[in-house]
Amino acid sequence: MIALKNTDIGFDTTLFSIEETAFGKGKVHVLLGKNGVGKSALLSTISGLISPAVGSLTLEGKLLSDYSFKHLAKKIAYVRSNVTEVPFLTVDAFLLLGRYHYKTFLGGHSGEDYALIQKAKELFGIAHLAEKFTNELSSGELHLCAIAKAYVQQTDYILLDEPTSHLDYANKRKVYELLSEMAKAHNKGIIISTHDLDLAFKFPFDFYLIDSKNKNLKTIRTFKEVEKEFI
Amino acid sequence: MNITGFNKILFPLAGIGILLLSILSLLIGDIATDAMDVFNSVFNYSENNLSELVIREIRFPRVSIALIAGAALSIAGMLMQTLFQNPLAGPYVLGINSGASLLVALGILSGFGFLSSEIGLIGSALLGAFIFGLFILFTASFIRNQIGLLLFGVMLGSFVSAIITILELSSEAESLKAFALWSMGSLNGVTIEQLPIIFIVFILGSTVSLFIVNPLNILVLGEEECRLMGYNVKRLRLMIVFITALFTGLITAFCGPIAFVGLAIPNLTRMLFKTQDHKLLLFANLMFGALFLLGCDILIQVMSAWILIPINALTSLIGAPFVIYILIRKIR
Repeated sequence: MIALKNTDIGFDTTLFSIEETAFGKGKVHVLLGKNGVGKSALLSTISGLISPAVGSLTLEGKLLSDYSFKHLAKKIAYVRSNVTEVPFLTVDAFLLLGRYHYKTFLGGHSGEDYALIQKAKELFGIAHLAEKFTNELSSGELHLCAIAKAYVQQTDYILLDEPTSHLDYANKRKVYELLSEMAKAHNKGIIISTHDLDLAFKFPFDFYLIDSKNKNLKTIRTFKEVEKEFI
Repeated sequence: MNITGFNKILFPLAGIGILLLSILSLLIGDIATDAMDVFNSVFNYSENNLSELVIREIRFPRVSIALIAGAALSIAGMLMQTLFQNPLAGPYVLGINSGASLLVALGILSGFGFLSSEIGLIGSALLGAFIFGLFILFTASFIRNQIGLLLFGVMLGSFVSAIITILELSSEAESLKAFALWSMGSLNGVTIEQLPIIFIVFILGSTVSLFIVNPLNILVLGEEECRLMGYNVKRLRLMIVFITALFTGLITAFCGPIAFVGLAIPNLTRMLFKTQDHKLLLFANLMFGALFLLGCDILIQVMSAWILIPINALTSLIGAPFVIYILIRKIR
């Protein structure tokens, strides 16, 4: 369980505040809100990249700031909205980087690591890209690879910042189905931000809205409740 | 390491190249020598034999420093390029050399005895390289743009050379000459007695580099990604600056500034091996950097019958067009 209490969220200045929220395992949590309202800031905070100036943020009952970087990397994976493309880095090598924290000093990767990236490539339908360099991919393909890399990381929680914004409709659907499946079958806690409202509401996800007027986070049950914010 | 196909023959090829060029380099020069002299200079050395003396005291140190300088500068360049995620980075273009040059200029031209001694010179070069390394690291956190950072390095270089010009005008003729010679770069200045310490420092820096190949592989995705995968980026950044400054300062102290090797060779190895595996790239830079600078030195020796070319001028003549080629490829 990732829990936030009386926490201010923002990069340099506070964008909004959270009174009390918890993101549990076994579910897909969807963050909605206008551009610039603080969705990425919230995800960055939960990932540990930025620490909240005010308030508490706990992971499994322990303060996030008490975890070592390495321990955190085994608990939480974060797919940011812009994925770096690197020349001469193949998709296979890119996916293997997701197993970095299990690599021993100077040692290679285990058979388990290779089996995992094989599985990830099949799941996300990117096996045909394996030998390509990441700078040769389309932005949609690159994002699929980045999500596959988060899967390979085998963490309890996965955060994804607008994972579907670069994808075509079929791939959007596939990603949502896979996330849904991963949450249920593997009991992962998944938190995503998105602007693909229509599609997201077809899935049994938990929805949250960052209210731009009241500057807070609230739970949403129906599409109707969101409409006001966007119209 | 994952070496496939064409890559497999590159390492043996570079190894054979280094061996052959080293032997060639020991044999050519103003004083005629043959293979027997080379053999004798190692196993049956006599100071009275001029050929053996030349090989042992002049050519052997020169070949060694060419190999070490080429390898060290290339590794330094690889580290900087990965740190800044910028193929245009390198110890020379980003002004690490300028830092070393500035303090060395202050040392030689100020006329203080201690500063222009051997220890003083090495100390100033290392200190200058390290200060400017930290300065670049600090600046890079503001200038995210790749070409912007390059321009900053060039400006830093101009600024330093302006200060050096002023220092030059107000200094004695003798120290002026000493500094002018140093700044042209030369592989001839190293003596056989200095080689062990240079070699030890080089091995030390290379070993530390080998310890950080895993985090370097993550660092190509950016500092945040590195942090998300559980690695302390601050420590890694400092280590990279430390190794880069150590290598650049060391080589600059003994050989003067040598331009572009640290920029061109890391790019060349990435293109040849088509990989971001830094364990492989580390060895590739070591070997191809060594091979390249030794090749340059042989070219200088061969050409010396007609024209004298300082090493820094030759590497610039080859390196500058290469950088332009990379720039054009990037901008397109």
